[in-house]
Amino acid sequence: MTIRRKSSRSKSEEDVSAVRWLIKCGAGAAIVLTACGFATVRFGSGLQMPATTTRDGTLITLSRYLREPLPDVVLLGSSITFRLKEEYFATPKLRNLALAGGSPLTGLEIVASQPQLPGLILVEANVLARQTDAALVERYSRGDAEPLFFRPVRAAVAAYEQQLHTPLTHEQVALELRRLVGQPPSDFDNRIYADRALQQLNAEDPTDAVRLNAKRIGELIRIVEQRGARVLLFELPYFEPIEGSRHAAITREIIHAAFPDSNRWLSIEVNRSELRWADGVHLDERSAVIVAQAMERALALARAAQ
Amino acid sequence: MTFTSWQFGIFVAIVFAAYYLPALRAFQVQLLVFASLFFYGYGQPELLALLAVAVLGTYLFLLLALRNRQLWLPAGIAFNLALLAFFKYKLLFIDASPSLVDFAPLDFLLKLPLPIGISFFVFHNISLLVDLTRQKGAAPTLTGVFLYIIFFPQLVSGPITRAEMFMPQIKPKYVADIPFVEAAKWILIGFFFKLYVANNLNEMTSHMSYPLYETLQTQDRWLLVFLYSYQIYADFFGYSAIAIGLALLFGYRLPINFNLPYISSSFSEFWTRWHISLSTWLRTYLYVPLGGNRHGVWRTYLNLMIVMGLGGLWHGAGLSYLIWGLLHGLLLVLERPLLARLASIDFAVFRAARITVVFVCVTMLWIFFKLPNFDHAVGYLTGMFTPNTNPNPTKLFYNLALLYSLPVIIQHLGLRPLSEGRLRWAEPYLYGAMAALMYLEAGPETSFIYFQF
Repeated sequence: MTIRRKSSRSKSEEDVSAVRWLIKCGAGAAIVLTACGFATVRFGSGLQMPATTTRDGTLITLSRYLREPLPDVVLLGSSITFRLKEEYFATPKLRNLALAGGSPLTGLEIVASQPQLPGLILVEANVLARQTDAALVERYSRGDAEPLFFRPVRAAVAAYEQQLHTPLTHEQVALELRRLVGQPPSDFDNRIYADRALQQLNAEDPTDAVRLNAKRIGELIRIVEQRGARVLLFELPYFEPIEGSRHAAITREIIHAAFPDSNRWLSIEVNRSELRWADGVHLDERSAVIVAQAMERALALARAAQ
Repeated sequence: MTFTSWQFGIFVAIVFAAYYLPALRAFQVQLLVFASLFFYGYGQPELLALLAVAVLGTYLFLLLALRNRQLWLPAGIAFNLALLAFFKYKLLFIDASPSLVDFAPLDFLLKLPLPIGISFFVFHNISLLVDLTRQKGAAPTLTGVFLYIIFFPQLVSGPITRAEMFMPQIKPKYVADIPFVEAAKWILIGFFFKLYVANNLNEMTSHMSYPLYETLQTQDRWLLVFLYSYQIYADFFGYSAIAIGLALLFGYRLPINFNLPYISSSFSEFWTRWHISLSTWLRTYLYVPLGGNRHGVWRTYLNLMIVMGLGGLWHGAGLSYLIWGLLHGLLLVLERPLLARLASIDFAVFRAARITVVFVCVTMLWIFFKLPNFDHAVGYLTGMFTPNTNPNPTKLFYNLALLYSLPVIIQHLGLRPLSEGRLRWAEPYLYGAMAALMYLEAGPETSFIYFQF
């Protein structure tokens, strides 16, 4: 009997200690969550988080567009346009919303869904076979709601990275860009990558997807131009063998048939022998700067003509 | 339904509530069997029939083997191995063409996907047959056998529990007996390792896949191999911990599957700390029956190579898995004659050096795990020793890599001061902080690595 009483007492003590442990555990969680909640209220979630995937990069780009003042010019495109960094352009208030791994149409849908539009929208016409990212459009069409809590580890890393690599302006890098363009083109041998890319770009017939997307681009152009914005399409130069691939040829044919008016196009005049594509598809840094400068010249002409 | 989905949370809550209702106490085993069938069928309902065939077939062979072990035990084992071979290794011998054979029912069978967890429940079946016929006790009930084989916390990826350990635990359970704190600790640390460590590291190690790895700088290839080493540990340890914690909530104690494997100072020690339930199973049901170390040195080496080679193939029908297993076997063989001499050197720096060597070797071999295509694995390895001239390499954030790997490093370097020393009072707060962090910093959803096996 004594043993049983003792055992039942120790059991109840165990229960009390378990409850205490669980309460403390809950308190620990609550303290961290509250601290992060307060930090979000105090600092906002405006810190540009480090992008470890292309998806992260996309979210950062789009959140920044919604948060910051409306630019005059936006670039929409895929990873090909993504390489044209904003600081390469002397044009003030230009924002590159190209989505690495995404479609130019996704960007256009999102921009078109915003209450205010930039004056000029430039849409890449190289990669048009990809589907619109419906989840992304849905998320950014209703506004990117401020999260309740920020991510403490990523925020700490973001703050550290921002301190190390503050975003640069064109003026800060102008000298370096001139030096870069003054150098001879890279002699990196990209054959392996180009062959693989060519194989992929010849593998599938993009006709249906491109037709569908071209039609939707036309609809969106009508909508945004009725609201006062102007839309120009542009094609970035491909590596020559890629230019002749099935994918590139079909896309070019369909999009030019859909938009035959030359005034709808931003014509990029550039000496192709100066350009290099490190992986066969994407421009290397020097080439991206050269193309960005050529785009600026074309933009100035287009604006003057208007 | 994965452990990290909200559907699973609701499922566990409902089953838990019903399980301890006094009115349902007499049906606890049946309820768990039903819940486990629902859990399995939620993802692959077409394979429920296969699960039933595996369990009923094993039960039939068990009843027969209890009468005549010599005849029916090998037949029961062969039945289970045939199931495993059919589903896991059929594509080694058959082309995956649109129509495999003209006979429609066989064509249907051949086209069935790999049943989730088959490698695990087949091993449970074999353990059941061997253990219970060895004990020569009374035949267990069919529901008991069902529960042992398909108990949902361990059904998909283990731990592989031996029948002689699990079956005696089948008895009425009471809420008052639940070790809530212990269960909470296992579940919280399991989810933390999966969501915070493994899922975030997966974002980086996804660059190890072909052809993405070709854009990596040489030093980043090295970094990613080590990150994958942490990731696979966090992923599988996380799963096992959640399974142990969940089982405790239902009154069952599953075996511990990991014991800080990356502080092993020898390869044989590593296999007593990594996926312990699999190595115990292989030792008990394969290495010992093959003769173990009882027939001389060369036979022992051969047995080690056979066991590790088959252990590798158990993970999948690929050359990479076989090479992975055989290389582990080779390391065990090479270190065996040196073990006694190495153990006699009791010097901290020397021990640290041994731990480093074992960790680096084990980590390098994970490449064959991450890249089951052998050519891709060799391509990755080669790139670790040659400079990459790609002018646009992938950017990795080293500080993020460190912060997401930190829990594994801290766990291995020692939490003893916290759990045993003066800081013990902080333990519940630490678990609470882990719970908050796994919510705030969870990486993108990815399935558990061992689900594919």
